Amino acid sequence: MIRTFLESDLYHNFKHTPVAVISLGIFLLIALMAIFANIIAPHTPFEPSTLNLMNGFTPPMHPNDFTGDVFLMGTDNQGRDLFSTILYGSRISLFVGIMAVLLSMTLGVTLGLIAGFVGGWIDTLIMRFADIQITFPSILIAMLIYGVAKGLLPPDMRYEMSITVLIISIGLSEWVPFARTVRGSTLIEREKEYVISAKMLGLTPLQIMRRHILPNILSPVLVIATITFALAIITEATLSFLGVGVPTTKPSLGTLIRIGQDFLFSGEWWILLFPAVTLLMLALSINLFGDWLRDMLNPKLK
Amino acid sequence: MSFLTTSHLSRYFDLSEPWLVRKIKGQPKKLLKAVDEVNIGVERGQTYALVGESGSGKSTIAMMVAGLLKPSSGTVLFNGDNFFNPSLGKIKRMSMRKSVQMIFQSPYASLNPRWKVGDILKEPIKAFSLIEDETNQINRVCELLEQVGLSPRDMLKYPHEFSGGQRQRICIARALASKPEIIICDEPTSALDVSVQAQVLNLLKDLQQAFSLTYLFISHDLAVVSTMANKIGVLKQGILVEEATPSKLFLRPEHDYTKMLLSAAPDISNASRI
Repeated sequence: MIRTFLESDLYHNFKHTPVAVISLGIFLLIALMAIFANIIAPHTPFEPSTLNLMNGFTPPMHPNDFTGDVFLMGTDNQGRDLFSTILYGSRISLFVGIMAVLLSMTLGVTLGLIAGFVGGWIDTLIMRFADIQITFPSILIAMLIYGVAKGLLPPDMRYEMSITVLIISIGLSEWVPFARTVRGSTLIEREKEYVISAKMLGLTPLQIMRRHILPNILSPVLVIATITFALAIITEATLSFLGVGVPTTKPSLGTLIRIGQDFLFSGEWWILLFPAVTLLMLALSINLFGDWLRDMLNPKLK
Repeated sequence: MSFLTTSHLSRYFDLSEPWLVRKIKGQPKKLLKAVDEVNIGVERGQTYALVGESGSGKSTIAMMVAGLLKPSSGTVLFNGDNFFNPSLGKIKRMSMRKSVQMIFQSPYASLNPRWKVGDILKEPIKAFSLIEDETNQINRVCELLEQVGLSPRDMLKYPHEFSGGQRQRICIARALASKPEIIICDEPTSALDVSVQAQVLNLLKDLQQAFSLTYLFISHDLAVVSTMANKIGVLKQGILVEEATPSKLFLRPEHDYTKMLLSAAPDISNASRI
């Protein structure tokens, strides 16, 4: 399995595309640091007892005037070490991004397969719904779903459910590209003779979709998944920046940027800069990697 | 009564514009008669060939006989059973499915590119629950591969590792896997080059003798048909215009369309001597 991968065209091309190697490297670096945040981070930013308010607004790599503590990326207004906060923040951003992509991928692939394979009025219903949804900006849809879900939840659950609600609202706002692509590929695959021969065996439509069509339409799905992943992280950051995302006590990168912009014009630039640069690197590396993957898996460009 | 009979088999395709557009423009419904009142009978163990140019409804008949397309009117009967009989039970329908299999035109699109040959051949065995035991399933796959002139080792390969002719052999093996009584061959050789065509046709003939198979053979190539068929039906725009044995059809064609088809085939003088 690993050997066939190492000998494949994909890996060969990967080795000779610096952009792909670097972008994957940066992404893995951020992801690993986020995953092992509790080992790497010098401070635990969410434990109020370890914080010292005197450390607030310490510039990066500069001893604090009162305590003499030095912080790699400085501290925010509550004296939280920014480097640690960013590590924990990327963890939340990545988690929300991955879960949202998985949700929209499952939803989009399922609906697209059904629409393409079954056709008829079911196809019309699903795709017209997709058309309607895509006329709204996805951030608006996400905010709408987020607002409705928050309103429906009992007040004491709102706080703990906020990340779940965030995932659902981003996931539900990004399924359309998956559904459209999968429907198109399914329309091509279902006319192929191996599908007809599967029908000759009396297989149910569900079996044919799952066993025959699904494995043959996954490569475009993979490409959309990477691009949607970057998009989901940005949407999450935007929602958190607008204050409707994760709570301040569990800040994601977007929340950190929101906190930072309060202090931008009073001279504490580092509170905004470092989370923003991390978000930029994360989204950019995923996007560049997705672009390379798209070029590789597109037979027309080979 | 023949093993396979179609009576007044017809299929119309609705080519009219959407309902609203039609009402606004005041157009009537537009129907294409792809197959029109076709009656054929195929005897057990024989080969019936349908010929005609593209668009003559050959493949539409194949799909209806295979039970994949519902006829607009008329029936297809196998030993008196009809795929589209609503009172047909699930078990009966599966046993009909098992006895009617199909070989397709394109050997490239008819095998799932993500599956190994062994899994492709195992699928019908599993779908019809013919053999439950894993080792016996593999033995059966080996047997099938040998029957079509391939090596049992090929079961670990993917379809793209084979040539067109070899892929067509895999398709034949898959069709044989469920031990069918009739195989519908929808232009099985037209995507292959001439030397491979002859090999595949010979294989089909050998298998017919070995397993007393019935073939419904669909082709536009009269030379191919003349070597295979016991009886030939000529289709023109969905209508069966002539039906005869090969020797009679090639020597004394009756319908003008058949004469035209014969004169259009370049090597027909050689073919008639076979």
